[in-house]
Amino acid sequence: MRVRAPHSVMGSATESVRIMSDNGFALRLNGVTKRFGKHTAVDGFDFEVPRGVICGLLGPNGSGKTTSIRMIMGILGPDEGTVSLFGEDPDVTRRTKVGYLPEERGVYKKMKCLELITFLGEIRGLHRGEARRRGGAWLDRLGLPEWADKKVEDLSKGMQQKIQFIGTVIHEPELLILDEPFSGLDPINQDVLEEIVRDYHAKGTTILFSTHLMDQAERLCERVCLISNSRKVLDGDLKDIKAAERRGVLAVEFEGPDSWIQGPEVDRIEQTDDGLHLILRDGYDHQPILARAVESGARILRFDLVEPRLHEIFVRHAGGGATDDAGMSDVARRASPSEVAGVGGV
Amino acid sequence: MWHNVWAVIRREYLQRVRSKWFIVATAGGPLMMAGLIVVPAWLAVQGERDQFNLAVVDGTGVLYEGLAPRLENGGFEVSEARWHANVVTELREQANRGELGGFIMVDELTLETGEALYYSMDVPSALRQVTVQTSVARTALEYQLEQQGVDPEGLLGGGELQVEVLSASGSDISEPQFAIAYGGAFFLYMVILLYAVAVMRATLEEKTSRIVEVIISAMKPSELMLGKIMGVCAVSLTQMTIWIAAAVALLAGAIPMMIAARPELANLEALREIAPGLGLTALFVGFFVFGFLMYSGLYAAVGAMCNSDEEAQQAQFPMITLLVVPIVMVAPIIQAPNTPMATGLSLFPLFSPILMWARVSGGGVPAWQVALSFVLMALMIWVIAAIAGRIYKVGILMSGKRPTLPELWRWVKEA
Repeated sequence: MRVRAPHSVMGSATESVRIMSDNGFALRLNGVTKRFGKHTAVDGFDFEVPRGVICGLLGPNGSGKTTSIRMIMGILGPDEGTVSLFGEDPDVTRRTKVGYLPEERGVYKKMKCLELITFLGEIRGLHRGEARRRGGAWLDRLGLPEWADKKVEDLSKGMQQKIQFIGTVIHEPELLILDEPFSGLDPINQDVLEEIVRDYHAKGTTILFSTHLMDQAERLCERVCLISNSRKVLDGDLKDIKAAERRGVLAVEFEGPDSWIQGPEVDRIEQTDDGLHLILRDGYDHQPILARAVESGARILRFDLVEPRLHEIFVRHAGGGATDDAGMSDVARRASPSEVAGVGGV
Repeated sequence: MWHNVWAVIRREYLQRVRSKWFIVATAGGPLMMAGLIVVPAWLAVQGERDQFNLAVVDGTGVLYEGLAPRLENGGFEVSEARWHANVVTELREQANRGELGGFIMVDELTLETGEALYYSMDVPSALRQVTVQTSVARTALEYQLEQQGVDPEGLLGGGELQVEVLSASGSDISEPQFAIAYGGAFFLYMVILLYAVAVMRATLEEKTSRIVEVIISAMKPSELMLGKIMGVCAVSLTQMTIWIAAAVALLAGAIPMMIAARPELANLEALREIAPGLGLTALFVGFFVFGFLMYSGLYAAVGAMCNSDEEAQQAQFPMITLLVVPIVMVAPIIQAPNTPMATGLSLFPLFSPILMWARVSGGGVPAWQVALSFVLMALMIWVIAAIAGRIYKVGILMSGKRPTLPELWRWVKEA
């Protein structure tokens, strides 16, 4: 890492603050916008990933995830805004500090596996011999040693993805950017990949991955950023977001009369493994229900706002909620990165 | 930057050089040359030399002296058998004992008609028959000419024609020179097209397989394009070096050996005489490299802006035209290499590799024109690199419809 001290001493107060905070971030996007003709693919995207964090970039298809990642990787230039990696010029740091696995993963089919991995290491700044050595070790680790001298085209799709993944991490990047890394993998290989991602996280590598597999994101991510219709709708620490999203679903247990569970606030009632769930209508509060319950004389054993699963949050914001600007901006404001950075940051 | 370019070059080079296609094409050229020229003659020589002792029964007393060396040159071991009444029976027995492969009888009739008798243990090959027949006939003819007081060497050698060109405007190009000029021009057309298309295909493959996205995230598109072109160029030069080395080996090694073994193959000597020298060969390689660099840039841009082989086939039409037009003009330009039109066309950089070669290999083109054509080609390479590099940069990541010309122009301006 480059030493930034002279700048922070000589620069103005605000600049030094910015640079210092930049050093805490692996990635920072500032008002990044990308247009293709009349279509705006990414609109004023502000986004930060603190160092050492696993962050999920979530959003429906066509929401701008891949375009954002391509701008981070310098494959596309933003029309507006800036990208910085590790607080530095991305063109300088990107090649050696970032590992990138694109969504549409290509290989040189005619190359031998180890040669392809070596080449990918080489263009990431490794010396040929070193790239070869590490490639061999990785093939061993992923159980593919006998494939080293086989052509890539002879491999199954899952195995090709492993080769691509090795090519992504061979230079031991500080930031891993994985675009839909789990798509197309069978459950066993998904677990293998998840394991590796966790290993890298434990080593302090920052990881940003895009996905629409919410279970995976929920298991892996410390932070999430949800984009929909080219805009960020939610961004922050997953725990904070879940806490902020604790509304709308009420788990209840009780003895006695049950008339109170019906009312204008309740959209529907579901019997789940977790007990009875009351799904509230948007904009209604749970407080009048509690009042009604007490009044009815029922004995309340449990009255609990259920923490929503990421899947529900996703659907809530990216599904029908995409047009519900007021509600979204409310949550986005509550969970904006500037507030939660201290929690999620290193 | 060079670390990346070098990695791309090495990958491209090794992948191609190790491919079956390269091995077949590279070895195929020389093998075909050798196959067509050397092998049949060589096999004939090998096959027969071992087994063949030939006795000559000279009934005339004057022919053996001239005949023996001719037959020896043709691969026989020759001995003289004296003429006597039972000579045929005696030699037959010798042959049956394996001491002789056969014998020839020449007599007074041979001196007049060239007829001779050839007793052979096996059925002689056509080549062996011709060798014996021409040796006998030439020796007889030589003897007769000497008797007439005529110089047999000049006449038997096929004479000599001295040509004086009366009009100054025409080319004084000889037939072999024409062959070199025309064949060379056509060969240049083929190899430039072949390798430029290889660059296009490689680019297209990287684009459609999407591996380009990973590579572009680690290096500039221009570095990838440069490495790709240099890599293919290195492959082509390797192939050409092998071909040239094979040709040299054939001309300098195999052909003299064969002629020594079989004088009747002396017309192969002509191949040696018309073969281009070192200077011309170097110029050829120079024209190839400059031509390749111009066209591969254009083809790389085409590969980058297309999404399928079919699209690329159509989109390369302008380049094919640029390569075919000079090919059509090669013959007239070889005939009249110094007209203003010939000079002008051959100085147009995209035509230079083919047309300047056609003029130069015929001889008589001022050196400054050749030098100028290389300078102009170098400038053209620079212009193409600037324009094609921009199209490449945008196109390589673009999917969807092939761009129209105005769109292309926008890419060039905006990239």
